[in-house]
Amino acid sequence: MENDTRVATSRHTFAPRITGLQAGIVMAVAAVAAGAFFEVRPPEAYGICIACHGRDLITWSANRLTDSRLTVAPASLVFPLLTVVGVLIGAWVAAVVSGEFRWRRPRKPLKKFVYGVLVMNGALLAAGCSIRLLLRTSAGDLLGAAGFGAMVIGVVLATFWLRRMALR
Amino acid sequence: MTVAAVASLVVGIVIGFVGQRSRMCFVGGIRDWILARDTFLLKGLIAFGLVAWIAFPLSELAGGAPVGEFGRPAVTDLLLTVAGGLGVGYISVLANGCPFRQHVLAAQGSGGSFVYLTGFFSGAILFHIVVSPAILSILP
Repeated sequence: MENDTRVATSRHTFAPRITGLQAGIVMAVAAVAAGAFFEVRPPEAYGICIACHGRDLITWSANRLTDSRLTVAPASLVFPLLTVVGVLIGAWVAAVVSGEFRWRRPRKPLKKFVYGVLVMNGALLAAGCSIRLLLRTSAGDLLGAAGFGAMVIGVVLATFWLRRMALR
Repeated sequence: MTVAAVASLVVGIVIGFVGQRSRMCFVGGIRDWILARDTFLLKGLIAFGLVAWIAFPLSELAGGAPVGEFGRPAVTDLLLTVAGGLGVGYISVLANGCPFRQHVLAAQGSGGSFVYLTGFFSGAILFHIVVSPAILSILP
């Protein structure tokens, strides 16, 4: 019994529950600080972008391994941004210390693969994933605001579509 | 430039940890609010936007690099950005999470999100080799 309590306490210490509100605040500060103080620029408002930073890592590596000359953002020219690698490490650590890591087999893998391809292409077309579109909006970029507005409309349409399919 | 790489790795680890503990998602907030009037993730989305909006000028006051001018967008850029944004929003809801959330899910063992990521990164190569040149060839 005593052992159980200790496990519960240690879980609480190393892996606290965080609210969405707190996460949003931490991520916004990190995104702005990365651009303002740690050279994650240009382009502007580039502090966090899962799609663009992932693209930089892939195209930079491809350019090194082959003689391709695929687009890499200026911030990633010398050495690529490692945001996506960090997210995988940070989330993995959090999942392990909280006991939430569990391997689940993929269901409908082809569909998931296609979703990944489409979201990356949409994000590169709009020059930002959902995070950077909002970050650009906050920085005063009209184009970013248009992209974010379109993203919100897309989310609303898809949600109503999902609800309709679920209720049939 | 290597400063940026190290900083982005640290930022990634921090937001990855925070994202796993909070289940934060940048499309899930709107979805949850429509489906169940649940504001847990929506608060995070709004907080991110507001805090960044305040933090940009504050960081400049604190000696950070200022945010440059953006200028007026051209019509073609606007159309492409809107099309891309619509796609990101719509497909991300079908895929059950924004790209950030998919990375977090993959890191906690979701095979489906892992497959999503392989598509995500292949998509980057596809975009620069096929999609982007095709769009540029159509545009005047």
